[in-house]
Amino acid sequence: MAVATAAHGGYLPSKFHTSLPSPPKIAAQIKPKPTPRPLSPPPISISTNPAHVNLIHLRELYAVCNHSCHRFPTVDAAGIVEPVDELKLRTAVSHSSVVVSAFTKPEFLTAQSFTSAELTNFIGIGGDWIRKVAPVTPENGRLIGFGRAVSDLGLTASIYDVMVHPALQGRGIGRMIVERIIRMLTSRDIYDIAALCTENERLFFRACGFGDDILGSTTMMYTRSAASYSKNGQMVSAGRKLLLVPHPRELTK
Amino acid sequence: MPAHDVVLLPTALKLYPPVVSLDCRSQAFGPLNFPFHLNFGSRNKKVSRLNAGFWESIRSGILKNNTAQVIEPPSIVEEEEEPLPEEFVLVETTKPDGTVEQIIFSSGGNVDVYDLQALCDKVGWPRRPLSKLAAALRNSYIVATLHSTVKSAGEEGNGQKKLIGMARATSDHAFNATIWDVLVDPSYQGQGLGKALIEKLIRALLQRDIGNISLFADSQVVEFYRNLGFEPDPEGIKGMFWYPKY
Repeated sequence: MAVATAAHGGYLPSKFHTSLPSPPKIAAQIKPKPTPRPLSPPPISISTNPAHVNLIHLRELYAVCNHSCHRFPTVDAAGIVEPVDELKLRTAVSHSSVVVSAFTKPEFLTAQSFTSAELTNFIGIGGDWIRKVAPVTPENGRLIGFGRAVSDLGLTASIYDVMVHPALQGRGIGRMIVERIIRMLTSRDIYDIAALCTENERLFFRACGFGDDILGSTTMMYTRSAASYSKNGQMVSAGRKLLLVPHPRELTK
Repeated sequence: MPAHDVVLLPTALKLYPPVVSLDCRSQAFGPLNFPFHLNFGSRNKKVSRLNAGFWESIRSGILKNNTAQVIEPPSIVEEEEEPLPEEFVLVETTKPDGTVEQIIFSSGGNVDVYDLQALCDKVGWPRRPLSKLAAALRNSYIVATLHSTVKSAGEEGNGQKKLIGMARATSDHAFNATIWDVLVDPSYQGQGLGKALIEKLIRALLQRDIGNISLFADSQVVEFYRNLGFEPDPEGIKGMFWYPKY
């Protein structure tokens, strides 16, 4: 049993399990839990190496999570957002100061109904043993989580596009991603970290240690469109918003 | 005696560079400008890196079907348009004594950090480390500045140049941009200069198809930005900030 535990959670450095200590896991293996408890995450490999970002898989992840890069996305009748523009996504990822990808083995994506206790029971000595105990790496894993941050590498940073595959949500993976982003930023002495979030995401970020601005600043976004402004001007579309480009005016005195 | 697993060992022992690493210095992303100059020195990293490489070699040597997915190296990004440094005269005033004052707008981002620090003092902002200011300016997507030059009548060449306003925006160059640090010298406020700065910034961003333009406004300037087309908490979107809990 000890071997199984070591193999199951052994590759991930213990630092990542600050919120999920091992005693409950071992206890779960000793006697089956009658009541369902929040699942611990499957073996996750987290990479901050931008070279591990496969753009095709990333686009698929955006689609599966129904996440749009536009703040006000066009949503079709079924509630699905438009697919992410490939070129723009590549530009955005390449210019993000911090890029975090989370991978797991493909079997964990489908076997989500099992608790961690039952999963470890499957690991016996057999032909498949090596594959089961071999750690997850970005090469052999499926991309199931992502997060990125844009920073001026001096004073401020903003976190965007944190997402986890719907089948694996609610297990602490998103939190791992955000905590990794924060760690990357604080190690560069950046402590002013912002995250724009919708109503749904607010609880998540609160759990990650985010709160309203201590200085009481108001978040504002540019939303001026032709409808609210009588002047005819050049328009730029961003999702379902059609933004008015300010006319180049000359100040003369 | 059959040469059993010994055959696999030569390939298995090929210790290629570890794949899961916290080190972002790997220049696989060479042509793209990644601002990773700083080291992430950490003692634990070395040990885990060695173990990862070892595991990799054993695993790949023994597994028959090595289903390693091919991660295609990012191809060179096509010529991206950098913000074209614009510089032009925004306002020109001729004073009664004949001197001509010009207010020059520039988006080239050539700001003297000391001038900026002095300007921040003038508007009453708390001091920030100069090195951080310099790094922030360097890595901002657009830095728009206003300088004032005063030339006496008939004088050739540029007169004294003084920094009187600045605004900067960080961006991922594709979708999101945040405007930070907007300031105008108090003696030049009220003339529409701040408005011009922001409008130029928005124009530059929208022309590059960057649609999510956000900022965090102090309570006394919310109206100022509202007049420029900004909406507070649109559709429930709010900004949250990280608070370290020690």
